[in-house]
Amino acid sequence: MFEHFTERARGAVVFAQEEALDLHHHHIDTEHLLLGLLRESTSVGHKALDRLGVRLDDVRSEVVRVVGEGHPVTLDEEDARALRIIGIDLDEVRRRVEETFGEGALDRIASARRRRGRRRACGPTVGSMPFTSRAKKVLELALRESKALRHDYIGTEHILLGLVREREGLAAGMLAERHVSDERVRTVVSELLSGN
Amino acid sequence: MTEATKIASQASSSDPKVGLRAVAALRRLVEQLETLQVTNARDLGWSWQEIARELNVSKQAVHKKHAGRRFLPGR
Repeated sequence: MFEHFTERARGAVVFAQEEALDLHHHHIDTEHLLLGLLRESTSVGHKALDRLGVRLDDVRSEVVRVVGEGHPVTLDEEDARALRIIGIDLDEVRRRVEETFGEGALDRIASARRRRGRRRACGPTVGSMPFTSRAKKVLELALRESKALRHDYIGTEHILLGLVREREGLAAGMLAERHVSDERVRTVVSELLSGN
Repeated sequence: MTEATKIASQASSSDPKVGLRAVAALRRLVEQLETLQVTNARDLGWSWQEIARELNVSKQAVHKKHAGRRFLPGR
């Protein structure tokens, strides 16, 4: 899947995963791809977004507002103390869960989730984090854009066009709200590629 | 529970900081247990419908939350 990606396009996808991890989300969705483009600061995709007035901080705070932040998965000592005060013995819960599901079951959920993701996911994954079907659609559209333009690589500009054209995800919505249309992206990208 | 620890726990449980921390921790614990149980049920061949009924949520809700996580649609 990623073999025709430029170094910056790969970088944007890695940033997308970082954004998802930081937000404690379990998938790379379209909004993370958009954040990834905004983080890959020397890329054409980033420059185009910059010219079109789309800003990283603004997009990130909207993502937090709309999607929310997930919960960190582990429980620490202070959590255990607080739970004990309301009458829940975390060690006892852990012990019983382990009796049924094996040693470390509760603490391993996050990593188990990642292992399963890798084993069962049919689509591309970055490291261990799976893409949502919408994010996969974006990458497919990026590939299609690249082919239509007779390019032999998939760059950040194609990912950006994919995000705009996907239409259903959060990223497409945020871009539309910011008046970033298919047409405007194409204009700005061709300006950037011709060195203007 | 001795009188002393009882007093100590009563004192701390009236502290909103501790109480709120407990609520947040409990929420996370619930998420972990839910993931564990849903995964196990799926591994045992339960349908989303059956899982949703036991969790008292809609099939759509449980599917949206857990399906993509582990059972990604094929391409």
